[in-house]
Amino acid sequence: MWLYVIKRLLQGIVTVWFIATATFFAMHNVPGDPLLNDRAVTEAIRANLEAKYGLDQPIGTQYLIYLRNLSQGDFGISFTQENREVNDIIREHFPVSAILGILAVVFAAAGGVLFGALTALYRNRLPDYIIMFLVILGISVPSFVVAALSQLTLVTLNSAVGTTVLPVAGWGTILHMLVPAMVLGLGTMAYLTRLMRSSMLEVISSDFVRTAKSKGVPPARIFAKHQLRNAILPVITVLGPAIAAITTGGFVVELVFAIPGLGRYFVQAVQQLDYTVIMGTTVFYGAFLVFMVIVVDVLYGFIDPRVRLE
Amino acid sequence: MSGVALAEETATPLLRVENLAVEFDTYGGIVKAVRGVDFTVDQGKTLAIVGESGCGKSVTVQSMMGLIPMPPGRITSGSARLRGNEVLGRNRLDGKEIRGAEIGMIFQDPMTSLNPTMTIGDQIAEPLQIHKGFTYRQAFDEAIGLLEMSRIPEAAKRARQYPFEFSGGMLQRAMIAMAISCKPSILIADEPTTALDVTIQAQILDLMQDLQRETGMAIILITHDLGVVARMADEVAVMYAGKVVEHGSVDDVFYRSAHPYTLGLKEAMPTNDPTKQHELQPIEGSPPDLFAPPPGCGYCPRCPFAMQICDTRHPEDSFLKEQHFSRCWLHHEDSPSKPADLYFKDSDP
Repeated sequence: MWLYVIKRLLQGIVTVWFIATATFFAMHNVPGDPLLNDRAVTEAIRANLEAKYGLDQPIGTQYLIYLRNLSQGDFGISFTQENREVNDIIREHFPVSAILGILAVVFAAAGGVLFGALTALYRNRLPDYIIMFLVILGISVPSFVVAALSQLTLVTLNSAVGTTVLPVAGWGTILHMLVPAMVLGLGTMAYLTRLMRSSMLEVISSDFVRTAKSKGVPPARIFAKHQLRNAILPVITVLGPAIAAITTGGFVVELVFAIPGLGRYFVQAVQQLDYTVIMGTTVFYGAFLVFMVIVVDVLYGFIDPRVRLE
Repeated sequence: MSGVALAEETATPLLRVENLAVEFDTYGGIVKAVRGVDFTVDQGKTLAIVGESGCGKSVTVQSMMGLIPMPPGRITSGSARLRGNEVLGRNRLDGKEIRGAEIGMIFQDPMTSLNPTMTIGDQIAEPLQIHKGFTYRQAFDEAIGLLEMSRIPEAAKRARQYPFEFSGGMLQRAMIAMAISCKPSILIADEPTTALDVTIQAQILDLMQDLQRETGMAIILITHDLGVVARMADEVAVMYAGKVVEHGSVDDVFYRSAHPYTLGLKEAMPTNDPTKQHELQPIEGSPPDLFAPPPGCGYCPRCPFAMQICDTRHPEDSFLKEQHFSRCWLHHEDSPSKPADLYFKDSDP
């Protein structure tokens, strides 16, 4: 088991290295120069930066310097913001994105499992039709549309009540987090609902559920101990990619709801061609996602004993 | 109706099933899978229900256990009485759950019939916790004892393992341990050895017989293997197209077969007796369409002895003697030829 975790972590490091390399060379092939824009940087600063990152050196040398800094956990200094290290930007703003993301994932997973199981149990009856209709909506409507619509709903609601029931945008309290997390998790929740439904349908008609019935196990216990745990396995499998989908989707939702998360800096950095911030956030997000996928895979072993012994 | 009724005066059997009929709604129409089945099971005895695939043997017992999905399934008539009390369509009897506590059941494929994410011990302990109010600890200890009873070595260690760590034969032993955990009065075994190797089959059958001797439970054994029937059964019910066509003691059914279908089954069975030059005789044709069951005897188109009446009217039960009956016109007093003359022309009965 531990050997498996270590093996996966080593593989993860290789993956992150690929991401870092690809980002580095992609950035170097983007036309433009962040040091040549309006907010001209003094010759001295320019010289310092060139020296630090070897910007006057051949690209191979630059790449080695970049890797060396990266391996020490140093993502570098922002090219466009004064006195800002990329590490600081991540440290300050990633927790906001992470809380939003975790809330969204919890919402998506809990909702997906619950609604998926419900639709399977009520197959081809009214609850199934209603939920599946909403699922199709959730999958096909992009999150920025849902985000704007939910803001409109909140505005209407708040003005109807007369006070602020739920804030329309911004960040700070748990109330600020609820709606953005729901909007962010909606697409994934819809996807997980569909997955859970088909997996649950398979489990409902399986031999071991029939065995449980023949033992006289009450329906609630069959649901909890025999059906849910087996039906949930495919959902756990896609939870890794689902986390990826939610975190990347976070950029848009953060922007719409004016949430000071990392996504906003990422988008800004791309617009301003801020090399270090782009590379830093990309590598950081990449590493985070790789790590989450590994966590999910390890988690899988705890739920399915067949995966554990390998 | 029936010879079963004759026995009623003597004693109430452990289980009596009468006129049980089950239908399924499908896109193709209504399938009449079971069309009036009667049988009885006595304490400590084994009843074998034999017949080919699709004859309704599994549906018969599953409808008794409430295991048929309804809809599309539907029990249209009949009764099943356990010690005189109706159990059909009911879950509880005298405040006691029927499934698991009164009737235990094991299935054909042990590989898929156990929950892959629960330990064997937990699965055996589950009915004890539910029906007997055992704590988890007590139930798990009892489960280890039951595994030992089912002759699983290192039971304490095995109880903590998962189904994928067991072989097929071991899983079937664990299934048996689970089915008898609450000391049911009846064990239903739905083709318990079909998915297993021949050598393992014998071990499982021996185990079932030994446990029957120890606990005094009755066994309903569903199979299409006449070898298994000969080895295990006290009584045999032969089913064809959703009906019992012959019912009697194992000796009567094997040596004094009364229904042409039983005879056909025997002819189709391989033998390893070197003195008998016996060529396997398959039964030609296929069973009737149960979407539209024929008005007469279902076996008529395949029966070598079929008469005119067989095609149009369903035969009444004919009692050859008490506890041995056959549904066949040949036994009617107006039948021109006697079954004994037809069946046993060139061999002694």
